[in-house]
Amino acid sequence: MSRRGNNVRGPTSALTEFLRESGINPTTIARRVATQNQPESRSQDQSVAGPSNSGDNVEDVPEEEQPEESAPQASNGRRGRGRNTGYASDELDEPAEESPVKKRKGTKGRATATAKTKAKKKAKDDGEYEGSSEDEYRAMSKNLWSVGGNSSPKPPAGSFETCARCEKQFTVTKYTMAANPPPGYLCHHCAKASGTDPFKKPVVPRKRVNVTEKRDVISYQERRFPSLAAICIELISRYINDVEALGDIGAVNMDEIAKALSKNRGLTPENAHLFYDVLNKKLRFYDATNLTPDALTTLASLNPNLTHLHLDYCGRLTSPVLLAFSTSMPQLTSLTLLGPFLVRAEAWIEFLKAMSGLGVFKITQSPRFDLECMQTLADSCKNIGELSLREIGLMDNEFADPLCSLPPLKVLDLAFPGIGIDEDGWMKIIEKHGSTLETLDTSKHEGFTDHVLQESVRKYSRILFELKLDECLSLTDGGVAQFFGNWAYPISTLKDEGDDMDVDADPVEVSLTSLEPFTPNPPLRVLSLARNQELSSAALAAAIVHSAQSLTWLNVNGLRSASSEALAQLKRAKELRYLDAGWCRELDDFVMKDVVTVCTKLNEIKVWGCSRVRGVGWGVKRAIKVHGIEPSGGM
Amino acid sequence: MSNDVQMNDAGAEKRDDWVKITSSDGYSFLVKRSVAAISGTLKNMLSEDSSFREAIANTCPISERAAVVEKVCEYMSFKAYYEGPGSKEGVDVNEFTERIPPEVALELLLAADYLEGVLDSCV
Repeated sequence: MSRRGNNVRGPTSALTEFLRESGINPTTIARRVATQNQPESRSQDQSVAGPSNSGDNVEDVPEEEQPEESAPQASNGRRGRGRNTGYASDELDEPAEESPVKKRKGTKGRATATAKTKAKKKAKDDGEYEGSSEDEYRAMSKNLWSVGGNSSPKPPAGSFETCARCEKQFTVTKYTMAANPPPGYLCHHCAKASGTDPFKKPVVPRKRVNVTEKRDVISYQERRFPSLAAICIELISRYINDVEALGDIGAVNMDEIAKALSKNRGLTPENAHLFYDVLNKKLRFYDATNLTPDALTTLASLNPNLTHLHLDYCGRLTSPVLLAFSTSMPQLTSLTLLGPFLVRAEAWIEFLKAMSGLGVFKITQSPRFDLECMQTLADSCKNIGELSLREIGLMDNEFADPLCSLPPLKVLDLAFPGIGIDEDGWMKIIEKHGSTLETLDTSKHEGFTDHVLQESVRKYSRILFELKLDECLSLTDGGVAQFFGNWAYPISTLKDEGDDMDVDADPVEVSLTSLEPFTPNPPLRVLSLARNQELSSAALAAAIVHSAQSLTWLNVNGLRSASSEALAQLKRAKELRYLDAGWCRELDDFVMKDVVTVCTKLNEIKVWGCSRVRGVGWGVKRAIKVHGIEPSGGM
Repeated sequence: MSNDVQMNDAGAEKRDDWVKITSSDGYSFLVKRSVAAISGTLKNMLSEDSSFREAIANTCPISERAAVVEKVCEYMSFKAYYEGPGSKEGVDVNEFTERIPPEVALELLLAADYLEGVLDSCV
C-alpha cells in the first residue's frame, strides 16, 4: 500500500497486470468467497457503478475498471482500498492497523442511507460466511464488513445509531457490530447477547516462537540423590570388616541381599566378603562384573567347602582363577558360569581334569571351549548329569561323539552354537541320552530336523518335560505336527494301523520296541517353538493337544502364520503360567480373552508385535503382567 | 483413622493428605502422600486407579521392624526435601548415611530393594 501511496511502482508480472486490468484484486476475491451463495449480489458488486452506490463508491469505480494510470488520481480512495484489499497482510502487522482504520472511517463518514442498506446486506452475507467458517476467518470477515468493502460504510465512531434489536440509541464505537440477521447495527449489550464477542480481535498470526526457547530439556540431572539401597550398600561396604555389626544373616536373607546388591551392580571386592564363609556350601552371585580376578581367587580360598557355585556375568574370570577354583574348592560338584569368555582352552582342560566329581557343568558364552575341552569333559567327568554348553562358538558336529560318551544326562542344553551338530549327530546323542533326558534345548541347530524328532525323540525320550526348539530352521510345520500327534502312541501300534502315518520307521525296531511295555513320554511342561517361521497352525495345535494338560511355560514367539483357530487352542492349556505369543500376527483380543479367562494361573504374557491385540475387553481383574501391547496399535 | 476417612472424600486435598505406613511390629508412621510416592512400590500401592486395600485405606504395611521402617520414612522425607522444587541446597548424603545404624543396614537394604519398585509397568 505504501507503494501505491507514493506512486512508485516497480515492474509487475504479466499475471499481476492481467488481474489488475480485469479488476480482480484481493477484495473482490474475498467478496466472492463471502457472497458465494448470492450470485446476484456478486454481479452487482462487480458492476460497481450502480446508481445505488454511495459517493465514495463512485470515487472507487474508475479505479476498478481503469488501468493503473488513473491510480494516482484516486490515491486517497485507493489507499483505503489498499488497506482493505490487504486483509491478509493486515494480519501480519496487527499493531500498525489502528491508524488506517480510523482514517478510513473518517473518509467513510459521509455514508448515505443507501450505502447503509447495502452494508446491511453485506453484513448478512458476512454473517453467513462467518457462521460457516472457523475462528481464524472471523477477523477477516469482520474487517470486511466493519470497515466495509467499497459499499458498506459503518457509521463513524462517536455517531449515534439505533440498535437493530432493542431499538435503543447507542454510540457507535469501533467495536460496534452489524446485526445478524440484518438490517442495522447492534448495541453493545445486544451484540454480546447474540453470542459474538465484540472485543474479539482479529486473529493475529501466531508468531513463531523460537523453538530453542520453548523446549525445556534437562540434558543432565543437576544432582542425583542416591537411592536408599545405594546408601545401604555403601554403608555395608564401609562396615564390611566389622561383619558382626551387621548382625546375623540367614541363608535366605543372604540370597536376597545378593540379589539386591546385584541389582545395583553393587557387588564389589570389598562387600563380597559378606557372603563368604568357610562353611558355605552354596554361593550364587547374580552380577559379578565388579569382581576382579584377585577377588574371584579370594572367593575360592575363603569358601573352600563350596559344592555349588553360580556366577553370573563373571567376565573377569580368567584362566588362573579357574585353576584356583579347582585347587581351592575340591568339593565343587556344580559350576554355573555366565560369560567366562577369558578362560582359555588349556585352562578348561586342566580344570576339567582336576574336577572329575562335577555333576553339573553349565557355561554360557565361552568362545574358546573347543573339541579338546569337550573330549576332556567326556573322559574325566564321569558323574556329569547336567550339561549346558550354550553359545559355544566352536561347537560343531565333532562334539557329537564326546557327547555320546558322557554318562546318561538329565539336562542337555547345547543352544545357539557357532556351527551346530548335524542330523546324524543328533540321532546318536538322543539315542544315547534320550531315555534319561528331562530337559533338552537344541535351539538354533539346523541339524535338528523333523527326522530327529520323529525317529529319535519320539522313540527314546520317556521323561522329557522341557523341550526348547527355538530357531531350529529345519523343522517343518507338518513334521512337528506329526511328531506331537503321534508322540503319545507307541510306534508299533501305528504300524499295525497303517504305514501311511510313519513311513520311515524300521520294521525290525518296531518288533523290538513292541516287545517291551510302552510308556509314553508324559506331556511337556515347558515348550518353546520360538522363531521357527516354518511352523504354523498344525504344529501349534498338535503341540497343544499333546501337552495341554501340563503345559506351564509356552513360547510360540514368531509363529507368524499360526491361525487364530490354532491360537485359540491355547485355552486348553489350563496350567499355563507364562505365555510368549509375540509376533503371532493372527492373535487378537478375542483369543486372548478366552485364554486369560480360562488359564487362571497365567501371570505373564508377552504379545510383542501382535498388532491385533489391544488389551481391551479381556475382562479379567487379575494381576497379569502383560508386555508388548502397542498403545495405539493395530487396526 | 478418622483423619484419613475425612480426607478420602475431599478429592482436591488428596494430593496433600497424609498416609499411614505401618511396621510389622505394630508401629505406624504418618507421612505426606508426596513423600510416600518417593517409593515406587508405595506409590503403586496408593495409586488412585488401583483398587488395592492400601489405596482405599491409605495405609501401607511394610513387613519390617519399626527401626527399619522409621529409617525408610526418614529417607523418603529427606529425599523429598532435597528433590523438591527449588531446593538448590547441596545434598549432604553423608548427613543421612551417618544416621543409619550399621546394624540395620542389611535389613534396610532389603526393604529399600523392595520399596524401590519395579520399573516395568504392568497392565
